[in-house]
Amino acid sequence: MDPQTTSQTTIAAVSAASSQAAGAAVQAVSGASQAVVHTGFALFLDKVYYFIMVPFVYISIIAMFIAIIWKIVSILSTPAPAFTLKTFPAKKHPMLAALGDTFGMPSIRKRKPLFWFFLMWFHVGILFLILGHFDLFPNIHIMPEASRDMVGAGFVGVSVTVPAFYFLFRRFKGQEKQISVPADYLLLLLLLFTFLLGDMISWGNSWTANGFVMTKADFRNYFGILSSYSFADPRTVLHGSHYHFIVLHVLLAELFMIILPFSKIVHTFFSLPLNILRRK
Amino acid sequence: MLDEPTTNYLKKLFETKLNRSMKLYLDTCARCGLCVEACHVYASMPETKYTPVGRAEVIRKLFKRYFKLQGKIAPWLGETIPFDDIGMDKAYEAAFSCTGCRRCVTFCPFGIDTQQVMNIAKLLLIGVEKQPQILAMLSDMSVAKGETYIETSDSYIEALGNLEPEVEELAPTPEGRKAIPINVQDADILYVGLSGKHSIVPAAAIMNAAKENWTLSYFEAVNFAAWLGDSQKQSKIAQRIVDEATRLNVKEVVVVECGTATRIMKFMSGKHSFKVLSIVELIARYIKDGRISVDPNKFQGKLTYHDPCQLARNGGVIEEPRYIIGKLTNNFVELTPAREDNWCCGGGGGFVSLGEYDFRMKSGKVKADQVKAAKADVICTACENCHTQLTELNEHYNLGMKVESLTNLVAHALI
Repeated sequence: MDPQTTSQTTIAAVSAASSQAAGAAVQAVSGASQAVVHTGFALFLDKVYYFIMVPFVYISIIAMFIAIIWKIVSILSTPAPAFTLKTFPAKKHPMLAALGDTFGMPSIRKRKPLFWFFLMWFHVGILFLILGHFDLFPNIHIMPEASRDMVGAGFVGVSVTVPAFYFLFRRFKGQEKQISVPADYLLLLLLLFTFLLGDMISWGNSWTANGFVMTKADFRNYFGILSSYSFADPRTVLHGSHYHFIVLHVLLAELFMIILPFSKIVHTFFSLPLNILRRK
Repeated sequence: MLDEPTTNYLKKLFETKLNRSMKLYLDTCARCGLCVEACHVYASMPETKYTPVGRAEVIRKLFKRYFKLQGKIAPWLGETIPFDDIGMDKAYEAAFSCTGCRRCVTFCPFGIDTQQVMNIAKLLLIGVEKQPQILAMLSDMSVAKGETYIETSDSYIEALGNLEPEVEELAPTPEGRKAIPINVQDADILYVGLSGKHSIVPAAAIMNAAKENWTLSYFEAVNFAAWLGDSQKQSKIAQRIVDEATRLNVKEVVVVECGTATRIMKFMSGKHSFKVLSIVELIARYIKDGRISVDPNKFQGKLTYHDPCQLARNGGVIEEPRYIIGKLTNNFVELTPAREDNWCCGGGGGFVSLGEYDFRMKSGKVKADQVKAAKADVICTACENCHTQLTELNEHYNLGMKVESLTNLVAHALI
């Protein structure tokens, strides 16, 4: 047997053993939690948790898309500017230049390289973050099926968290402080706490003595409930005390989605059209 | 707070400006602060109210207050402001501390155009009759001249006749033509100058040296209403020239050294049967085509060039002046930064017409420092406002330079 095969066999054996052990533990916990019948405030909390984890997910996604579409339509229904707003020298390929402005942010790179570094890090991180969440849907497989980690094994979460701290701290000094409004801080805090809770779920929950409390497979089961519209209680697939953090993470993400179309995050959609205005 | 009818009127005025680009400008700013260092006023006087984002935020806060859900349910989130005396004072300070140079557009990662946003502030000020009266009066006079120019045309033609010897001194008049022709049907070029002879004589000499079939406009190119923020009057003022060019069936309209007038005629006055270009572009073309020649030894000393914002960054006339200067001298030094990155001189946006000497001198400090660093003997430019501002900065900061217009330099170097 070659070393690689030996290694794979060992991993398979360990994985099977831990899986069995984990399965037994989950069944025990699950059985225990099923055995508990909540009443009073605990019952109320269960209902609130359920609302956050299932119906409100759909509500916030639908609200976000409706508001974005409404916003785009309301902008498109207004008259286009009557004259060019471009700056010179004119670019040979204005569309390519606008794409470069939007995704490369050369004006920032030229003048504030550190800010640009964090912005690029953040935006690339966001892309991977979206991919990481898509990977949780049952029919999408970006990471290997057997992997216990989400995409990036926790690094993606850190990749958005660190720049978010930078974005927040830079607003506490100089002209950045003077030009900031409360919404800027609150939005960054919302993002930051969403990311921190995400870090805790995707990465931090592996820090226990026994390894992962929850694995990607558990999150995939939850996403399976959402994508199948079964309206099952996520508590049946997400066990343990980390559930509270997941609920909070999902709630903050929902709030973010709801306010996105009404916040400056609309630059996600409007950055390119604006740069086209500058170039064409 | 202003009374309800006035508030409603201002809301309606505001709404008239909410076209596609404006909605994007008002919704998208991330307050990243990148534009802060773009503004020459802020660079000279570092106060938040003199930052592009600081100015635009005044309008954005009004927008949120009256047109956004956030302004109705949680106005504190965006620190919204109402239409009141304080709000209008802020709007005035924002609008009339911005020259509209659009340097911030090139800094902003989204390309938000503060000049356009400031046009809302200017319109609101007109709505409450707080607009600068000098600009309002000058705009009205321009509009009135468009309606009554025939009554004064004889005296204008007579005055032009008095200038003809000065044109002849610089270049001979082609046979069978007048030194300063006016009202010439089917001319190739309609030249639009300013009210002063300095804007007519050198350009006339250059066009005569090129044996051009040209005619002078009855009107001055300057558009005070653009600085006032009155788009209707701005159109009327531009339309007089469009009508004249159409009536005379000219092929091209050439605009005097005036950045704003050039930009308005080129880009903001609709589509025409004629082409619009600046006098700088025309001169460069004449030299390239061999229609005029200049003496490369006529000009002495080190020369630098100030790119007028409306002509370079906002009009695309960047290489032509350098081509012309290259024929005039080999002792040329660029300002740093130059071309589309050049600092605004601080004279645009109607500030020269408004007076505002103290503000212009203070806000022009960064320009004065930049010019001083070039260590040139002469600074030339191709915009009337820039010329005036640079002349006053030169005196105020003891820069010890001579300020020239590019057209004038060429006219005096004609061979």
